[in-house]
Amino acid sequence: MRPHPQDIHDALNRWLAAERADRFEDADAALREMFEALPLLAPAAGFADRVFDQVLSRAGLQPVKRDVFASLGLRLVLAASLIALSLGAIWLPPVLKALGGLVSLSNVVGLGVRAVAGASRGLALVLRLGEWLFSLGRFLSDLLMAPQAMAALAACILVSALAFRFLRDQIFGERSLTYVDPM
Amino acid sequence: MKSDAELVASTLRGSQDAFRELVVRFERPVYSLVQRMVQNPATAEDLAQEVFLKAYRRLDTYDPQWKFSSWLFKIAHNTTIDHLRRGVPETVPLESEDEDHGDLSAVLADAASESPHAAAERRDLGRSLERALAHLRPEYRVAVVMFYAQGASYQEICEVTGLPLGTVKTNLHRARKELAQVMTSLGWGPGGAVASETAKAPAS
Repeated sequence: MRPHPQDIHDALNRWLAAERADRFEDADAALREMFEALPLLAPAAGFADRVFDQVLSRAGLQPVKRDVFASLGLRLVLAASLIALSLGAIWLPPVLKALGGLVSLSNVVGLGVRAVAGASRGLALVLRLGEWLFSLGRFLSDLLMAPQAMAALAACILVSALAFRFLRDQIFGERSLTYVDPM
Repeated sequence: MKSDAELVASTLRGSQDAFRELVVRFERPVYSLVQRMVQNPATAEDLAQEVFLKAYRRLDTYDPQWKFSSWLFKIAHNTTIDHLRRGVPETVPLESEDEDHGDLSAVLADAASESPHAAAERRDLGRSLERALAHLRPEYRVAVVMFYAQGASYQEICEVTGLPLGTVKTNLHRARKELAQVMTSLGWGPGGAVASETAKAPAS
């Protein structure tokens, strides 16, 4: 548990007072208490990895690659999977033969023709939608090219800019963007 | 959980995972010791890496009769002292968002449950402690960090630093005195400027 700052200050004050009064044992205990209240400093994250990389490179070693097949459980699962696959391979030819009897050439051709017709209808729909959007865009551009519309647009942009500036001043007006440490 | 000695034995038999486990187990204590000695997170990380590399190379010289942590701290101590003796000029990072990584003040201030005022107090105390530690001679600094921060015994400090028991005790006594003087001069303690500011601040 992190000590309360007051505890550390108490220990500090006790230490300094004991030191002034030449009470060395008390000073020792208070200083130890103060330091014990402080956690150990830590290096930047990944320190152990960096050390390890250096050790390996300087010692000319290669990192030991973990053997993924070392686990007995994994080996058993793998063996079971291979057996299942082998059994499946035995049954595969008769199943394929049975399926072949269900599918004829005319069925396949009919399916292909229906797919092409469906795709063509979808494409036509997309083209009609595009044409309609193009007309709408042309209508709006004609409308905005009018002097009155241009003036209104410019006024809107101006008002927006002023509002944005006002808002920014409100947010940052009473704050400094740079923190100055008084120390 | 495997003991340190068992992990060392596994590493010597070629287990990379065992060494990784040792690094994970000791990265924080080693980094803490080095960082508090050099007072620079980037340098501390480089030196801590060097410590583990040296440990890996010399692992066959480790005697399981001794505590592994003492053996590792001895390497950390020697590596850090060598660095400090070389007198490599430290580039102290500017205080920025990056200060929240690895230094004492950041650790102190790292408390989501604290009020901003309490966090600022802890940060101030952390900075002052760092300054005070940096003010000490390296042999005093290592003794203080090991004895008070890491809870090492006198005997362990003797093993790590190679100094006799009497010298270690004297170093600790003098270091504590100097540390107190610096903290007082920085305004900490009863009646100090920092304490007065703290008392004046509204309760959170």
